[in-house]
Amino acid sequence: MVSVINSIDTAHEDMIHDAQLDYYGTKLATCSSDRSIKIFDVKSGQQTLITNLLGHEGPVWQVAWAHPMFGNILASCGYDRKVIIWKESNGTWGKLYEYSNHDSSVNSVCFSSHEFGLNLACGSSDGSISVISSTGDGNWDIKKINNAHTIGCNAVSWAPAVTPNSLMDHSGRPQMVKRLVSGGCDNLVKIYREEDGQWSEEQKLEGHSDWVRDCAWAPSIGLPKSIIASCSQDCRVIIWTNDGTSNNWSSKVLHKFNDVVWHLSWSITGNILAVSGGDNKVSLWKESVEGQWVCISDVNKGQGQVTEGQKTS
Amino acid sequence: MTTNCKASSREKKFLEMAAQWSGEFVVADYGDLQASAMAVDCLGSWAVLAGRRNLTLVNLEEPTDKVTKTARQSKWDISCVQWNPHASHAHLFVTACNQRLDLYSWKDSSTNRHCSMKAHSRTVSDIDWSPFDVNVIASCSVDTFTYLWDVRDPKKPAVSFQTVSGASQVKWNKVTNNTFATAHEGDVRLWDPRKGNAPLLYIAAHLSKIHGLDWCPQIEHHLATSSQDCTVKFWDTKNPRKAEGMLNSGSPVWRARYTPFGHGLITVVVPQLRRGVNSLYLWNIGNQFQPVHQFVGHTDVVLEFQWRRRPPGHGDHHLVTWSKDQSLRIWKIDSNLQKLCGDNILDSSLEMDSTVTFEIGTMESKELEQDSFPSPQSSMVGDATEIAIQQPRTLQQEFSLVNMNIPNVTIEEMDPIKRTCSVMAYSGTNKISLVMSFPANYPDNAAPSFDFQTQPLSKGIQKKLIKVLNETSQRHVKRHANCLEPCLRQLAAALEVMNVEERKTPDSDPYTSKRFFPISGIGAFIDSSIPFPRTSGARFCSAGYLVCFGRSREAKRAPGSSEITPKALSELAAYASRARVPREPVGFPTFGFSRSPPNASTEPVTISAFYMYKEKKHRPRNKLRNTKDGSDTRMKDTDKCLRKPKVGPVQVYDINRLLTIHKQLGENYKIDTDDIPAMCLHNGTVSASVGRRDLVQLWSLVALMSSPKLASSPNPEDGPPWGRHPFGRRMLKSLMDYYCSVYDVQTLAMLVCIFWDRQDGQRLLQHSASRTSIDYVPANYNPYHTVSSGSNLLKNWTATTLKVKRSNSWSFEDSFEDYRFVDEKDNKEKVAEAEKKQHENNCKLLDPTSHVQYDLYLKVYADILYRWGLRNQCNHVLKHTTMAPDAHKGVEFAVRCSHCLKDVRGAQCASCKMAAFQCAICHLGVRGASNFCLACGHGGHTMHMMEWFQVESVCPTGCGCQCLINSELRSGT
Repeated sequence: MVSVINSIDTAHEDMIHDAQLDYYGTKLATCSSDRSIKIFDVKSGQQTLITNLLGHEGPVWQVAWAHPMFGNILASCGYDRKVIIWKESNGTWGKLYEYSNHDSSVNSVCFSSHEFGLNLACGSSDGSISVISSTGDGNWDIKKINNAHTIGCNAVSWAPAVTPNSLMDHSGRPQMVKRLVSGGCDNLVKIYREEDGQWSEEQKLEGHSDWVRDCAWAPSIGLPKSIIASCSQDCRVIIWTNDGTSNNWSSKVLHKFNDVVWHLSWSITGNILAVSGGDNKVSLWKESVEGQWVCISDVNKGQGQVTEGQKTS
Repeated sequence: MTTNCKASSREKKFLEMAAQWSGEFVVADYGDLQASAMAVDCLGSWAVLAGRRNLTLVNLEEPTDKVTKTARQSKWDISCVQWNPHASHAHLFVTACNQRLDLYSWKDSSTNRHCSMKAHSRTVSDIDWSPFDVNVIASCSVDTFTYLWDVRDPKKPAVSFQTVSGASQVKWNKVTNNTFATAHEGDVRLWDPRKGNAPLLYIAAHLSKIHGLDWCPQIEHHLATSSQDCTVKFWDTKNPRKAEGMLNSGSPVWRARYTPFGHGLITVVVPQLRRGVNSLYLWNIGNQFQPVHQFVGHTDVVLEFQWRRRPPGHGDHHLVTWSKDQSLRIWKIDSNLQKLCGDNILDSSLEMDSTVTFEIGTMESKELEQDSFPSPQSSMVGDATEIAIQQPRTLQQEFSLVNMNIPNVTIEEMDPIKRTCSVMAYSGTNKISLVMSFPANYPDNAAPSFDFQTQPLSKGIQKKLIKVLNETSQRHVKRHANCLEPCLRQLAAALEVMNVEERKTPDSDPYTSKRFFPISGIGAFIDSSIPFPRTSGARFCSAGYLVCFGRSREAKRAPGSSEITPKALSELAAYASRARVPREPVGFPTFGFSRSPPNASTEPVTISAFYMYKEKKHRPRNKLRNTKDGSDTRMKDTDKCLRKPKVGPVQVYDINRLLTIHKQLGENYKIDTDDIPAMCLHNGTVSASVGRRDLVQLWSLVALMSSPKLASSPNPEDGPPWGRHPFGRRMLKSLMDYYCSVYDVQTLAMLVCIFWDRQDGQRLLQHSASRTSIDYVPANYNPYHTVSSGSNLLKNWTATTLKVKRSNSWSFEDSFEDYRFVDEKDNKEKVAEAEKKQHENNCKLLDPTSHVQYDLYLKVYADILYRWGLRNQCNHVLKHTTMAPDAHKGVEFAVRCSHCLKDVRGAQCASCKMAAFQCAICHLGVRGASNFCLACGHGGHTMHMMEWFQVESVCPTGCGCQCLINSELRSGT
């Protein structure tokens, strides 16, 4: 069903913690425990190293690409409590902004949908979430949600800008509300919402019995319902759905895995979920028309996972 | 006189490696010297080591080779020694031995005693040369006297001061003359030798004994006291009632001295249980929560430390330390460390490599072998995990190492023999006494038991606490790790949470994690809240890609392993310490996070090492399976393990086949609402080419549905339009619902493009904006009924007006008739309008009420097309959106009409209907490309302007503006 189109030897000296393609799928950014971030040109099967970004003083946990309307912008966060926003100008990459106002490791960064502007959310082990927004004139506006998760925040993810059923403003344009979902060491998934420039907790989703390692708000194709996936140290993945008419979120355990689940990713249409965890395996899950979640990465075993060998078409 | 002092060659080699990383830079071991005191001269070239049997002079340039010993016969130890701080008399030094002071001179490689000064009746506890008078020495003793001596007249003290209690320290102020301080138990007294026997000032500094006293080298009224009560306090003698600051070191502080640079302080602690941390700590006075550096290396109590003066222009400071282990060490304090103490020196002699920070890595393997207890090599917050690697082996060691600086928890008693530890914890007003008993085989899978002594807490809370403690201890002992400190911290955290819950008051200043888990100098606790790093993952990117990264085959977890991946980063340390055991003890383990010394032989303990270790653990199983060629493959395996990177390649998958959207379709689909049948035919063939047979059917259906024969007439009288037919709107709705459920946004968007007229949408928007909604028509109203309910409505209305007529005595019949007539007509019009509108709505095959959603389909699909790089197609789709894109925000040039002076958007003025922007050359309106001067605002057709300014530089209107120059200036700014 799926085929490897490129295999990149990153030559990182230590474990890779994140790898992401940009908006067009032409540039690959990887970050590692060796403190570096590498950007590769992977256009049409090639794998040319564009740059090796050094600036973090510890392992780099995650990277995030911004929408290309802001330029080629990459954000990274790491153990050294720093968030760095990198930008390419005239073919060279450099630091655009460095944010070091967290008291502990920054575990997650995520850019909002471009409709909201250039906003970066950062979740840190100090328990807080920072929202860094470009004011457009080269300055950055910082908003901090303190004590978002006691002990620590492990993941942040923005809600898509596509929000049907929302109120209209006077010109008939739907009002867009910025929302964030975050997961932390308090075993909770929380939804934050911005109102009049202030972030406040909108919803607290209880379901996991151990640290929430990742959460991902599914992209929307315009349907009224919202979907959030969360995964945890308790080896479970939970799918949270909201029908768009009330404030209720219903939960459904997707599957209990054999090891910690630490990463989730939604496909662009929001119907396939990639799940990965401590066992070094990736599995893809899709909701059937009947509303059941089925593993589609290995049809024969029904429960299998995608590994390098199995995944060729 | 035997000289037993040579530094091992290994040390030397080591020094070369470690030189860059500060740490001890010279180690000189003097074997059986038994020196109890040490002093460094004011020129930084000599150190004297004074003991009961010898006075040893050491050249600090070559401390291992140039050593001179002078034997002395005495049954008393030398309690202190000090060089003359004045360069002119740098060869003099004074020693205190029992009740006597001896003045020596060091000249031509020999020591000569000049004189002795005897007046004290008990052991002299401290001496200090005046930094202002070359001849004056102060001495103090427990005999309650403090004397000032003039070395020119050694027979009797020049001045004497008496106090009630004996003095332990005497120190001259380093900035102003005629002030010195003495320490008496917990008090400090300030004296002026000119003012006789009464102290100037009295500071009740500590409740326990003051061990050390030091004046600030920069500010005359600042001093620091270190005490048995585990604190260092900073005093301003202008305000002796209250300490300016305090730092808590967790152990009694033996000495605390200011650094000659920045705002630093060096402390030495009194080790507990005799075997503890024999390190010196460097603090930044501005940050009193944790030290910024730890100097590790001495294997016994540090007796003395002094600063070595460096020639001017030398960026580094040297710290000379002398320990009971009879080794002299010189530590280089480079600019990075100095900066940590807030010293803003701009050092050009050292390259400022920003990545090289605070780390030191120094520990000789020899020492490691001798001493089963490894000392931490550096304790920075940044690499706190590293410290956790250092696992004490015995309970006694753990007790001696435990960091007592835990909020609300005090350790009352630690008994390594009974294997118990009693702890007092405070929660709000409650006091909780907890006894932990450690089983004999702790920490090897045997957790301590917890017992609450007092019961002021409810059973529920107690149960909760026990649960927390048990969980914490179990987690640690499972990995053979010590758990006392983590348990205590967890207890503190749990109590705090309960306390907060108890209060239930909205805390204006929410407790931060900082308060929650104080970062202490030695504690890996901070990392316990950082999740264990991801080492594999998969991420959907762009449209149709899946990026997978993971560990290499070698670093993969062995299948069937029951243990799950640890939760927190701190747990890595426990694994690392176990992983170290099977390896030969080469070098010193360094955690991947810290800047490890460039030592090739050390294998850093990193996340990858964690996986490699696991791999090793499971190796034996392979051995069983492989028979003949087993050893061969194993060899290869190990080779691979060592050489091959632990990182697997990052793989990019094309997952378009899994998605319902299709790039090829996006590329080849035609959107042409003018000729729908042809478009459907084309799109149908395109769908067939990618094998989407459902879409082929759909397109043929669409062709039928949008056939011109089914087009509805604008007149409602012609009967219901096709939209009302079951195969009209209803079928389309079910089709849309289906493609919704399979997330085929591509098809949804295409359907919207065909069946949703943008113009209608915009009209709809205008209506809703003017508050006339389509809901105007009553819900049950149907224009296709034979008897229009509208007429009913009308009847009702007339009835009421008639009623009104009856109940009112209207005298002007005519006017009333008039009134009614107008109203009726109005109503008729409205009804007709509503009817028409309803008909229009019904004509549409897509329900107009959900037009927002149609726009979203289009937007999402356009975004996907854009990701695919199909920009033309993307714009085609966006053309069909109802809502105009967001108004431009930012700088815009506006045109002011040249006729009526109103601001105009576009080429034509809305008010006077004239061309708004007139060309300065041809005086015609400008519609296309235009250029104008930023200074005077005049301009016109680009072509005309170009022609003009090729020759001219002033404005063509004759306004006198130097357009070319002015515009340049403006654009330049």
